Amino acid sequence: MNESAPDSARFEAPDDFDAINRLYRERRWSDGLPVVPPTVERVERMLRHTRRSREEVVARVAPAFGAATVERIAINAVLAGCDPEALPVLIAATEAVVEPQFNLQGIQATTNPVAVWVIVNGPAAQKQGVNATFNCLGQGAWANATIGRALRLVLQNIGGALPGEMDRATQGQPGKFTFCCAENEAANPWEPLHVERGYARGASTVTVVGAEGTMNMNTHTKDAGELLRAFAETMMHPPSNDYCHGGEPWLALGPEHAEILQRAGLSKAEVKRHLWEGSKMPARRMTGKDLLRVQDSRGAELGKIGPDTLLPVSHRPEDIHFIVAGGPGTHSTYIPSFGNTRAVTREITA
Amino acid sequence: MTICSTAFVTLGRAQASALGRPDLPIAVIAHPFGLRTREEVRGIAEQCVDDIARLVAGNKP
Repeated sequence: MNESAPDSARFEAPDDFDAINRLYRERRWSDGLPVVPPTVERVERMLRHTRRSREEVVARVAPAFGAATVERIAINAVLAGCDPEALPVLIAATEAVVEPQFNLQGIQATTNPVAVWVIVNGPAAQKQGVNATFNCLGQGAWANATIGRALRLVLQNIGGALPGEMDRATQGQPGKFTFCCAENEAANPWEPLHVERGYARGASTVTVVGAEGTMNMNTHTKDAGELLRAFAETMMHPPSNDYCHGGEPWLALGPEHAEILQRAGLSKAEVKRHLWEGSKMPARRMTGKDLLRVQDSRGAELGKIGPDTLLPVSHRPEDIHFIVAGGPGTHSTYIPSFGNTRAVTREITA
Repeated sequence: MTICSTAFVTLGRAQASALGRPDLPIAVIAHPFGLRTREEVRGIAEQCVDDIARLVAGNKP
């Protein structure tokens, strides 16, 4: 975007952590947690990690269509506690969420709890310290916590999605505070996500996913067929946007589970095909009202839909995605999507 | 003009302003209606018809 916007407003505030946080709390410029005061010095330090001009409009962020300038992204990164080196990751993530196929307008304003899951691939993940191993979807890693949080603040403060106002989420979910990890590429027996999506192995990327939540799948089986059946049966979920609209569900495979599948000689495409076939759900499992919704939404794709129709979770097997993430253990995670969204990957550049 | 349920009026007005149409006429109907019967929804629609007609004609309700 070649547009430019005016400088961000500057406020004189006492050099006092509590006073500044009071101001942010009153103006609803935070996510409910204390923020790092975005002093001119801190924002300037952040801006040194991009070659872009501070006035450049990276994106217009729905639903308020606020101008996400480089400087405003940097301010939100400071608020979230990001290391200055993280700015290019956030710029790429902001570019990614506004791609039309991501459907940010829907994601920001819906009653659905959808959060934006940020996946970092390539050398930037290690350089920024984005955790891909033990507890990578949990607490403890500065980069995971602050990058995900900063993107949420961009969506709220620039995009205008304040809870109860333009963010109409009925309940939301904890992932709306932060939801960020890296792929455990070292433990991935297949090509990593960014290579699958057309980027060079040495490139660094950020992928954004409209994620409804996380469902743990703990199974001790060592049999690939049983493992795929357990995953597919977890995916079957009647009140699901994926089944209603034909979505794009994700899995984060623990390295041990990934190894079982790879040892069985399965490619990524074959894993997806097995999951797609195995997760077809009889439409009768939906409520009557939801069956009407799926008939409206997927009639053109599937033809006549009755109670005996087997609904696929996505239009095509290749719409199911997975990364390898986490440390040792027999756990993987199912991450259903918002349904009307498609993940977007952008390269991270300075 | 557009039609909006009470739960979404804040979003509708904010969105209209963000898109440069702060005066967009919005006909408002009671929320929720997900639990109502088809007949009840028809009744709500009929009550709203006059508002819609007025807004289309350019007069505020």
